[in-house]
Amino acid sequence: MRLELEDVHHVYAPGTRFEVPALRGVSLAVEPGEVLAVVGGTGSGKSTLAQHLNLLLKPTRGRLLVDGEDARGMKLGELRRRVGLVFQFPEAQLFESSVRRDVAFAPRRLGLGEDAVGERVRQALAELEISHLADRSPFSLSGGERRRAAIAGVLAMDPEVLVLDEPTAGLDPFARAELLGLVRRFRERGRSVVLISHDLDEVAEVADRVCVLERGRVRALGTPEEVFYANPALAPATVRVMAALGRAEAGRPVRFADTLQALKELLEG
Amino acid sequence: MLGRGLGQFYPAESPVHRLDPRAKIVAAGAIVAGLFLVDSMAGFLVIGGAVVAALVVSRVPVGSFLRAMRPVLFILVITSLFQILFYRRGELIFGWGWIQVYTGGVELAAFLALRLALLISATTLLTATTSPLALADGLEDLLSPLSRLRFPAHELAMMMSIALRFIPTLSSEAEKVMKAQAARGAEFSEGGLLRRARALVPVLVPLTIGAFKRADELAEAMESRGYRGGAGRTRYRELRFRPPDAAVLALAVAAVAGGALV
Repeated sequence: MRLELEDVHHVYAPGTRFEVPALRGVSLAVEPGEVLAVVGGTGSGKSTLAQHLNLLLKPTRGRLLVDGEDARGMKLGELRRRVGLVFQFPEAQLFESSVRRDVAFAPRRLGLGEDAVGERVRQALAELEISHLADRSPFSLSGGERRRAAIAGVLAMDPEVLVLDEPTAGLDPFARAELLGLVRRFRERGRSVVLISHDLDEVAEVADRVCVLERGRVRALGTPEEVFYANPALAPATVRVMAALGRAEAGRPVRFADTLQALKELLEG
Repeated sequence: MLGRGLGQFYPAESPVHRLDPRAKIVAAGAIVAGLFLVDSMAGFLVIGGAVVAALVVSRVPVGSFLRAMRPVLFILVITSLFQILFYRRGELIFGWGWIQVYTGGVELAAFLALRLALLISATTLLTATTSPLALADGLEDLLSPLSRLRFPAHELAMMMSIALRFIPTLSSEAEKVMKAQAARGAEFSEGGLLRRARALVPVLVPLTIGAFKRADELAEAMESRGYRGGAGRTRYRELRFRPPDAAVLALAVAAVAGGALV
């Protein structure tokens, strides 16, 4: 599934004195099977952009295309199943008496039979490695476990595109690494992930492409090498180190492992 | 995003905004009480004139004033309709099957509608021109004589201002949770009343839990900054009762007395 935003504008509270333009002409495609990272400061429009990908927010101007066709012609429920959106701090959406029942909420809403719902729940819980918590109350879990239960609740819809809004905010380094593992596994199955983040180090590890938003506009879009080496001051630690060294023969590594390899070669050579 | 409904504060620079909140509360109270003493059209005109004059001086735009009153319009229409249809005194002026309209009913409906409309106008004007904080301060001060009878005046005012302060927070939280559940396939505007009420469960549970958590955090933050209730507390904003306040109070009483006597 290919999602494309075409010259999307969004204005909050139009026509009132609280009017705020959040997106000002964003054009961007999410290709099948890629991890697209959207980075930018607070107020740059990242979360607004995320909510346009399943039309929870409607563009004030411009449109969303799904596989080349205008999404307004699609059923909203269908679009929201295929584009799974995980909000920032999603643990605030847990409401059921057990993790299993909470994760079953979305597949039940799809009208699946009991067996199919059970299967979806099992898969989602296994994917997030929380099968052992299935019968616990979501309110008795730790912060990281709650976050994973909430993400499982979206994965249970079996979406083709997964949109994660700041999924690692407030998580410890271990939980963060596990979550990035989930992103990679999801892509390996040929599906796409939109990762909204302001942690450039984690973006460096998993992103295939990076989109930099600034005050509602796309400031830069390309591979991590292109985007980060074009502006090393605003880049992950790996790129900052390589740029500061200024050794062109080392190439343009972005990921930690690649950077380490390049540095080793420099030291030995 | 921002709830603009009944009782919304409209910040502006005007003589009415600058009045002592105590004067405004008492004046509004007098007018509300007076409305129940009035039983003539002329009396309503006198009080209505006073309210309209205050509205003009307050610089609250009439449009947003009326919009703030809109939620009550429904009640107003329903009550009037009931009076017209079911009060059967005076002369019959219209009859069609079981629908029978009498002069007494129309008269009563007009009185009731006027009384309600003026009552709501007076209180809306009070909340539109007085910030929630000033309102709570004024109320606390007016109730403080009762604290000798162990009435928790300060606590009541504090509860009121906290409740008002958190309405926008809760409504933005509700919006967020609703969106998150909509992303999981929840539908809030589908089906009959029962189904819609059930659809709200996934919103109300997280909202309630969040509210309790926020209350705990707020209490902790207040205590860590030394809050221990009203005893011995001084105020940053001292209320001052000045000549214009006395004048407004006198005018309100005069309007009520005039309205009741005409």
